Amino acid sequence: MTAALPSVNDHFDYESALAGCAARDVTALRRLYEHAAPYLLGVAVRIVRDRALAEDVLHDAFVKVWSHAHTFDPARGAARGWLFSLVRHQALNLVRDRLRLVLPDEEMAQAIEDEAALAAMAGAAPAGETRVMLGRLAICLDQLDPPKRDSILYAYVDGCSHSEIAARLGAPLGSVKAWVRRGLQALKECMQ
Amino acid sequence: MSVDAGDPHRGDWDALDELAAGYVLGTLSAAQREDVARRLPQEPGLQDRVDAWEARLHALSALAEPVTPAPRVWSAIARSIGHAEQRPTSATSATSATSATVRPGWWHSLALWRGIAFGATACSLLLAAMLGLRAFAPPAPPRYVVVLAAPQDKTPGWLIQASSPRRLKLIPLGAQAAPTNRALQFWTKADDWSGPVSLGLVQANQSLDVALDRLPALQDNQLFEITLEPAAGSPIGRPTGPVLYIGRAVLVR
Repeated sequence: MTAALPSVNDHFDYESALAGCAARDVTALRRLYEHAAPYLLGVAVRIVRDRALAEDVLHDAFVKVWSHAHTFDPARGAARGWLFSLVRHQALNLVRDRLRLVLPDEEMAQAIEDEAALAAMAGAAPAGETRVMLGRLAICLDQLDPPKRDSILYAYVDGCSHSEIAARLGAPLGSVKAWVRRGLQALKECMQ
Repeated sequence: MSVDAGDPHRGDWDALDELAAGYVLGTLSAAQREDVARRLPQEPGLQDRVDAWEARLHALSALAEPVTPAPRVWSAIARSIGHAEQRPTSATSATSATSATVRPGWWHSLALWRGIAFGATACSLLLAAMLGLRAFAPPAPPRYVVVLAAPQDKTPGWLIQASSPRRLKLIPLGAQAAPTNRALQFWTKADDWSGPVSLGLVQANQSLDVALDRLPALQDNQLFEITLEPAAGSPIGRPTGPVLYIGRAVLVR
């Protein structure tokens, strides 16, 4: 399958598909699914790191698209962004909640998170290697120091918590928190 | 609210921005995420910032490679929204309208599989936690850990884990890649060996499993290093280039 490099090549009309969903047109949901599902599943797989769980996320997200399409407000952002955000937050809720499922106390939660961090580290690839994005964000990311850039990419793309990032970068937790915050501040300034 | 404070496009940074950015980036805890989700409908200032951060970072979604979902995912969605799928491949589609209402087998139940998946995840997390608590229990083979750090500034570049003395895993921790036409070569030497032995060429972005079939079992304090060598590796079977990362095995009890 040719994985067209996203965003810019994506001329699908997300707005009208969402409008169709809001008007209870199942074919609109189906069109949206057929076009976007592989990209959305890719996003979810990276975050939840499990194919079957990611498919559950995709399922739940599309059910939510169907029931919430009428709440999409074009004044607040693009329809593509709305859809991708919905899937990302569904996936993030799952990975953050998973930690809490068996959370007897703070210390135990930390131990579990450390385990997850070690596991994440084992599967780590440098976040910087595939930089195929476009536009202003790419320029602004390139201006960040590598630790700040990698911290932000690990968080956004791989759904890493602060401690998972610390494990991947072999850096203290405090440094990672500072890198993330300063990196975001710099991005905001750069992207004005 | 003043116009300035309410404008998310200003360059200044406040607590709301910090919260919104962490929410969109995904670094907040479950409780914090819930808190933000609850506040969003009531706080336009927070919602504006979240919208702005979603728009800023959205392009990063392109970094995840597409994955084609299994066909059953769409079938499950169609069922969940009350539109059981009409299969176009059905031989007698015109007369099989009732097939849509046939109750699917239990193995099609997403809730069931999700339950099993969650149960399995919870079990494995619990097991991991219990294993952690039992770390002091006696009967386990010796485990070694090595951190390979840059000799000058002690920056960690690689981690070696050996769960048995015969097998180890080399894991990059953001190590520097080799320049063009050069390679990274992995070596080891125990105290009583005459010289280092090559464990092969490595890539700075790849984990590597190494079986120590033809070497003595791992020892405490065994030396590991990564040197910069010609693209095909050292021509003389001994390190020729500078040591980029070095460390010694530590027995984990």
